Amino acid sequence: MNPWPIILADLRSLRWIAWAVPLVVAIAVAIGIAVSAQDQALRTASARAADDFDLVIGAPGSQTQLVLTTVYLQPDAIGLADGALLNRLANDKRVAAAAPIAFGDVVHGYPVVGTTTSFVSRWGRLQPAEGRTFAAENEAVIGASVALQLGATVTPSHGMAHHGSLGAEDTEEYAHRHEEAQYRIVGRLPRQNSPWDWAILVPIESVWEIHGLGNGHAVDEAPLGPPFDAKTVPGVPAILVKPKSVADAYVLRGEYRKNGTMALFPAEVLVAIYQTLGDVKLAMVVVSGFNNALVLVATVALLLTMVGLRQRRYAVLRALGAPRRYVLLAVWLGTAGLLTAGCVLGLGLSLLASWVAGSVIEARTGLHLAVTLGWSELAFFALIILCGSGMALIPALFVYRRPVSPNLRSSA
Amino acid sequence: MPPSAAVSPSLDIENLMVTVAEGSGRRITILDVPALSVAPGERLGIAGPSGAGKTTLLHVLAGLLPGSGRLAWGAVELSALPEVARDRWRRDNVGFVFQDFALVPELSVLANILLPISFDHWRVPAHLRARAIELATEMALPETSRRALLLSRGEQQRVAVARALLCCPRLILADEPTASLDADSGAAVIDLLIGGARKTGATLIAVSHDARFLARLDRVVHMEQGGLITASTNDDGERP
Repeated sequence: MNPWPIILADLRSLRWIAWAVPLVVAIAVAIGIAVSAQDQALRTASARAADDFDLVIGAPGSQTQLVLTTVYLQPDAIGLADGALLNRLANDKRVAAAAPIAFGDVVHGYPVVGTTTSFVSRWGRLQPAEGRTFAAENEAVIGASVALQLGATVTPSHGMAHHGSLGAEDTEEYAHRHEEAQYRIVGRLPRQNSPWDWAILVPIESVWEIHGLGNGHAVDEAPLGPPFDAKTVPGVPAILVKPKSVADAYVLRGEYRKNGTMALFPAEVLVAIYQTLGDVKLAMVVVSGFNNALVLVATVALLLTMVGLRQRRYAVLRALGAPRRYVLLAVWLGTAGLLTAGCVLGLGLSLLASWVAGSVIEARTGLHLAVTLGWSELAFFALIILCGSGMALIPALFVYRRPVSPNLRSSA
Repeated sequence: MPPSAAVSPSLDIENLMVTVAEGSGRRITILDVPALSVAPGERLGIAGPSGAGKTTLLHVLAGLLPGSGRLAWGAVELSALPEVARDRWRRDNVGFVFQDFALVPELSVLANILLPISFDHWRVPAHLRARAIELATEMALPETSRRALLLSRGEQQRVAVARALLCCPRLILADEPTASLDADSGAAVIDLLIGGARKTGATLIAVSHDARFLARLDRVVHMEQGGLITASTNDDGERP
C-alpha cells in the first residue's frame, strides 16, 4: 500500500493552504517554545553573572536595585555605605576578600567602575586576556566587549543617569567630561558573558579623586587598594565580600543588615525575581497553550472542510478497489504531515526568535543568553506533534466512515 | 506486454433489492431485480430514464452498495462477502469507468493509470509500468508525464479507460462513459472499451443513454423505477 500519490495530489490541490497551514502552526508553536527557552536562558545567564558576587553590602534601600546596579551595572542612584566598613571587613577573619565598587562615570557610553585589583581578578580567578591589570590611578582595564584598543587614552564623563550609545561619545557625554582626568587602557579581561564585559574598570581611588573626595588614603602617594584610611575614605555604593565559608556568609549577612547597612546574597534577590518571572512565564505558557490549541483546532477544522470537498475523490478510490484503511492513511498522513511540518518549522522559528531576542537583551544588558532547547521545550514540541497527529485522525475518520455509493454520485 | 485473456465467470442476480430510509424513517425500495444473469464475456447495456436505478445497479454489481438477495460472481457469493473481501474482489476483478472520468487532476497521466496499483504495492512492478505505458500509447496518450488537469475531456476519458484496463479486469463497469464527450471522442472511447473487453475476454456492463454505444453491445436491459422492464438482444452486437 502506498498512499503517497494521493497525499501529494491532496497537498497540491490545497495550493496556498498547504503553505499557510504549516506557517500558522509554526508561529503558534514557536511562541510557546521561545517563551520557555528564553526564560530558561535568562535565568541561567543572570545567575552566572552573579557568580562572583557572594555577598553585597550597601546602604539601606532597595535590595533589587542594589543587585541590579552592582551585578548587572544598571545605572541608578543608590545610597552610599560608610567607607570605614572597608577596613573593618579587611580585618574580619570571616572575610577572604572585600572590594568596594563605585559607579557614575562613562567613557564612550561604557560604564566606568571603580574597584580594586582584587575584584578585577574576581578574587584571583581571572587573569587579563591581554595586557595587565591597572597599577596606577590613571590606568584602566576593559571588559571583553569594550571597543577600545590597549594603549588608548580616554577621558571619563559624568554620566550616571545618561544612557549613551555604546562605543561612541555623544555630545552630552562630551559636555560632561572630567577634563582633568584621563585613563590609559592597559589590559583587557576575558569574556564573562555578563554586563561587566562592557565595563571599564579603574582604581577606585581615581573615581574618588575625580569627584573631589580624596583618594581614600592618608597620603597622596599611597599604593592602590586596601588598607584605606578609615578617617578619610569616602562612602561607597557597594562593597563586595567574599566570605571564607558559607556559615561566615550567613553570619556576615545577618551582622550587616543592621546599624545603617544592608547585606544580601544576590541569589536571594534573583530567586524573588525568578519567582515573578516564573509567574509571568506560567501565564505566557498557559496563553501560548490555548493559542496552540486554538490554532490546531482551527487548522483541523479547515482541513476537515477541505477533505469534505474531496469526498468524491476518496469514493472513487474506493470504487477502484482501495480499502478503507488506504483512504484513512492518505488523509491522516496528509493532515498530520502538514501539522508536523508546522511544528518542525516552529521549532526552527523558536530558535531564530530566541536568538534575535537574546541578541536584543545582550545589546541592552550585556547578558549573553545561550538559548538551548531543554527537555521541557522538547516535551512541549513532542506534545504538540502528538496532539496534532491525534487531531488529524478526525478528518481521516470522517472519510473512513463515509459510504461510497452516495459520494460517487455527488459532484464534490 | 499483451494482456492475458482470462475467462470471466458469469454474474448472477436473484431477488436483489436495495432500500433506503426516507426522511420520515420509512424505507423505500430503489432497486428491485428479481433475476438477471450476465454471461461470461457478455457486453451488457443498461438503459432507462434518469432515476431508474441504473447507477444503483452498477454500484451493487461492483460491491459498493449492499442489498438483500443474491449476487454471485461465478462461485463467489459476493452478497455474502464482508466489505474487506468485496474491496479485494473489486481490486482483483473490476475496472471502473465513470461519466466524469474521475481522474486525480493533480497527478500525471501515468500516475493516474497506475493509481490502482498503489492500493496493493509500495512500488509499481516493472511489468505493470510497462503495461501502463503500452496502454497510454494505445489510447493515443503519448505525453504520460502531463498532468491530467491539462488534458482534453476525450483524453481524460481515455486515461480513465487505460486505468480500468491496466490490471486486465474480468469485469468492466462503465457509468455513462460517453455522456460528457463529443461525438468523435465518444466513438473513440466506445471503441476502446469494447476493444479492451474483447482483448481480455472481460465482461462489460455499461450504463448508457448513447444509442451508438448500446447498439454495439450484445444485450440491453431497460430499467424503470428501480426494476428491469425489458431486455433486448442486439442481433448486430459485436460478439467476441
